[in-house]
Amino acid sequence: MKNSLKTIRVLVWKDLVQEWRSKDMLTAMFSFAVLSLFIFNYAMELDPASRADLAAGIIWVVIVFAGTLGLNRSFTAEQDQGAFDALMMAVPDLSLIYFAKFITNFLVMVFLTLLVIPIYSLLYNQALFAPALGLVLLLGAWGYSAAGTLIASMTVQTRMRDLLLPILLFPLLMPVNMAVVKAASAVLAGVALADVSGWLNLLVVYNVIMTTISIMVFAYVIQE
Amino acid sequence: MPEANLQARAVSKRYGTQRVLDQLDLSLSPGQTVCLLGPNGAGKTTLLRVLAGLLRPTAGEIRLDGAPLDFTHSAARRQFGLVMHQTYLYEQLSGPENLRFYANLYQVDLSEGSLQALLRRVGLNPTRPTPVRAYSRGMKQRLTIARALLPSPRILLLDEPYTGLDMQGCQLLNELLQQERAQGRIILATTHELSYVLQVATHFAVLARGRIAELFPNDELSLDALQSRYQQLAQPVKAEARP
Repeated sequence: MKNSLKTIRVLVWKDLVQEWRSKDMLTAMFSFAVLSLFIFNYAMELDPASRADLAAGIIWVVIVFAGTLGLNRSFTAEQDQGAFDALMMAVPDLSLIYFAKFITNFLVMVFLTLLVIPIYSLLYNQALFAPALGLVLLLGAWGYSAAGTLIASMTVQTRMRDLLLPILLFPLLMPVNMAVVKAASAVLAGVALADVSGWLNLLVVYNVIMTTISIMVFAYVIQE
Repeated sequence: MPEANLQARAVSKRYGTQRVLDQLDLSLSPGQTVCLLGPNGAGKTTLLRVLAGLLRPTAGEIRLDGAPLDFTHSAARRQFGLVMHQTYLYEQLSGPENLRFYANLYQVDLSEGSLQALLRRVGLNPTRPTPVRAYSRGMKQRLTIARALLPSPRILLLDEPYTGLDMQGCQLLNELLQQERAQGRIILATTHELSYVLQVATHFAVLARGRIAELFPNDELSLDALQSRYQQLAQPVKAEARP
């Protein structure tokens, strides 16, 4: 257990240092997210009531689309230099590679969310700093990262990975998208967290199932 | 170090309808440095990947010390040190950072002194924290060799290990291979740099038609004799490859 945790820590450290030094993924995601928010802002001239209704949907769509750019690049360091093979030879358990990538992608999604929320608040003049919204988006980021990491590990081995990732991932994310948008809309409308527990439960169940399945099949996906 | 005996038994590998390895048998003993020869597309890289457990054979098995290797266990995978076409290095990390990263994964206790000694062993300056992306191809190859040696593997599988190395680097690699062989490792290398490998190989194996056409010892062969023997054995494959 201790060795597994150390392996995960080392793999996450490597991913974060690589990204911090290159900033390839974060730059692309952040630029895309800001531009999308600007486009939504100018394309839809909304009155304050409509803004409140649409806020959750706009924020989550921007996070999901920008996050896909990051997912597409999350395995490229391994693919470009063939390091997948070296990781497979070195790690004691192949599922640890999944765990580490999942954690990295989750942290990147959280970082992206922390950037998108204040920018949205500024552009749309709407206060969004609610702990309940944070909880919903964290659960959404978990589900997105769990499914996205698995699908990215499959598509990175294909020639059309940039196209295949969203085509395979978005249908799989339907329950997450629906639950996050419904729960976040309700929370922003002032509904108590207990009253959206159905959506939150759906998110938790989806996340646990998706994470478990991903851990079970990851070794088969990356071998050959 | 316990003695290793690596065997490929009736190993076949197909990609769709293309048969790359066909009932191939190969046995390697400790202290052997076998140079695997064959024309482009003969299946040399495929054989190395199958031996290392990175590709599942369509049929046959890999045995070590008489027992089948189960590559689902990390202990089996960790018996091998690999140098392949790709460097397996992370470009944003420096050379020492790459080695420390892999040492942590292998759970190898790599002290600063051992790290510097390993880098010096492959002819790299241990005090330069330059990211790998700024390395030349030859420097990357030296670091790749250091990474392969890091876990002290019992078996070294080297795919074109002289790639990118200058003359000094090739000589250095030969010295390393001789040292590793003296420690009882099994070394299997593919290369087209016959003049260099002739100095270190104990045996030559020619891969043709998906099988080992011949495995013969390096009885102080001359370069001309080796080239002539290789061309004789590899000729049928070239003829078949033509449309």
